[in-house]
Amino acid sequence: MPCMSKLEIKNLCFSYDKVTPIIDDVSISIEAGSFVAFLGHNGSGKSTLAKLIVGLLDKNKGQIFFDDEEITKKNIKKLQTKTALVFQNPDNQFIGATVEDDIAFGLENRQMPHEQMQDEINKFAESVNMLDYLKKEPINLSGGQKQRVALAGALILKPEILILDEATSMLDPQGKNTVRELIDKIHQENPNLTIITITHDIDEALLCDKVFILSKGKLVKSGTPQEVLRDEKALLEVKLDMPFIYRLEKKLSETGIDSQAENLEQLVEDIWASK
Amino acid sequence: MASTTFGRYSFRDTFIHRLDARNKIFLMILIMVGIFFQFHLWSTALLLSGIYFAALIVIMVISKVNFFSLFKSLGAMWFFIIILMVIYIFIPNDNYYLPVAFRIGSLEVRWDAFCQTGYIILRLIIMISLTMVLTSTTKPMDMTNAFEWYMLPLKPLHFPSHEIAMTLSIALRFIPTLLDETERIMKAQASRGVDFNHGGLFKRMGAVIALIIPLFVSALERSEELANAMIVRGYDPSAKRTKYRLLRFSWRDIIAFLLVGSAFALIIVLFVYDNNGSDLDLIYRLFQVKGF
Repeated sequence: MPCMSKLEIKNLCFSYDKVTPIIDDVSISIEAGSFVAFLGHNGSGKSTLAKLIVGLLDKNKGQIFFDDEEITKKNIKKLQTKTALVFQNPDNQFIGATVEDDIAFGLENRQMPHEQMQDEINKFAESVNMLDYLKKEPINLSGGQKQRVALAGALILKPEILILDEATSMLDPQGKNTVRELIDKIHQENPNLTIITITHDIDEALLCDKVFILSKGKLVKSGTPQEVLRDEKALLEVKLDMPFIYRLEKKLSETGIDSQAENLEQLVEDIWASK
Repeated sequence: MASTTFGRYSFRDTFIHRLDARNKIFLMILIMVGIFFQFHLWSTALLLSGIYFAALIVIMVISKVNFFSLFKSLGAMWFFIIILMVIYIFIPNDNYYLPVAFRIGSLEVRWDAFCQTGYIILRLIIMISLTMVLTSTTKPMDMTNAFEWYMLPLKPLHFPSHEIAMTLSIALRFIPTLLDETERIMKAQASRGVDFNHGGLFKRMGAVIALIIPLFVSALERSEELANAMIVRGYDPSAKRTKYRLLRFSWRDIIAFLLVGSAFALIIVLFVYDNNGSDLDLIYRLFQVKGF
């Protein structure tokens, strides 16, 4: 019996023109309820991978399994209901005329009876702190608020896998922080929800359970953030930088302070403790 | 951006805002048809137009629509009025009712030309204002839903009523976004030295190309992302969908329907009378003064 993983990708290949591979023989296994990051530079194929997972693109070769069920042309519609994707640009995924219309969009597609919609919308708007904005139009919202609406619109469909395709990369620092805190909260409150965040922000990847590094369509490294993100040489090869805290620790070690801390508080403790 | 505020939906809780969008569209068409019944005597036609105009003012007061923006947009109509005057003065007509006002050489200018121009302008103003009342009291979403409802009978003929309604609502949703984008591109191109305000026709057309091409490219990119976002959230144009926004026909709609309906019936009665031999002289009937 194969191992019970939420999402299993085996030898996946994809290219638009069948000459230059965008995704080249990638195999990934993600456990249910985990929070993982796909990390990579621009053009590494990480967004394409997300589109392949949710079925927006059709793979050339390889297999994708949800709960050990392979995605085929027949069951793709059914399996699509298990995934949700939040995109990068807040404006281009706002479909409804107002916040409530946008959150309702997925419910309308799922043919939820009208009477049940309002409660559901209120509940999910509340969970992303947008309850006071239900009647607002997108033009009156900030980028962070729009992304929160997009999250509510995705979560209301009760997905098992939530993919965030650079969901915070177009936001200002404040919006970025609120959305990240919200994602963290969602992760805490939904232990069964598998979250995949696609990012080139290495500090964001630090918070995940597992990191997959992609470069030129290939999976170059995977493991826990501690394993993967401390390897400066490997990171430089795929044009990524070490996380701030690890860089700081490296500099400190040159002055004789040794620390393997994973957060800043721990690091401060270690500095105090060192002689 | 002043032009976009004209007839733009603004949220207010009035009788007209609460009417069913389907009813509003139907009644508006009914009123417009009523306005276009032509009466023989100028005095009758103008008097009726005055009554329509008074009714329009009442509607605008009830719906708390901004008068100011209406009159601002009518400023552009002066050009149109002059063209109409010229047309009616110089194009001969065989059924004049009124005496000669003045002569230009051998050309007799009759009072009819002025009456005709005034009559048309009045009707146009009423039509524009009515449309404005409709768009500023109805949510774009409800409006597209209403259009979809009216197109329902065509569904068995495989007419894509739902797709059209969805396209319309997305187009409406993206107008402000694309206006923002236009402004941004204009600024970006201006900073690179493109001059949108000076130069001859060809130079300006070249400048506009520098605006249009990036705008189209970005709109196409947006549309692709939007389509992806819609698919991911389970949208299938051919599948059945439920609706978050329902259109409801209430007692208000019945009142509005009866009011407009009876006014329309009255106009038809007057029109039939007017065309049955004797010309209707409403002024004489009401005030015992001979009309013209």
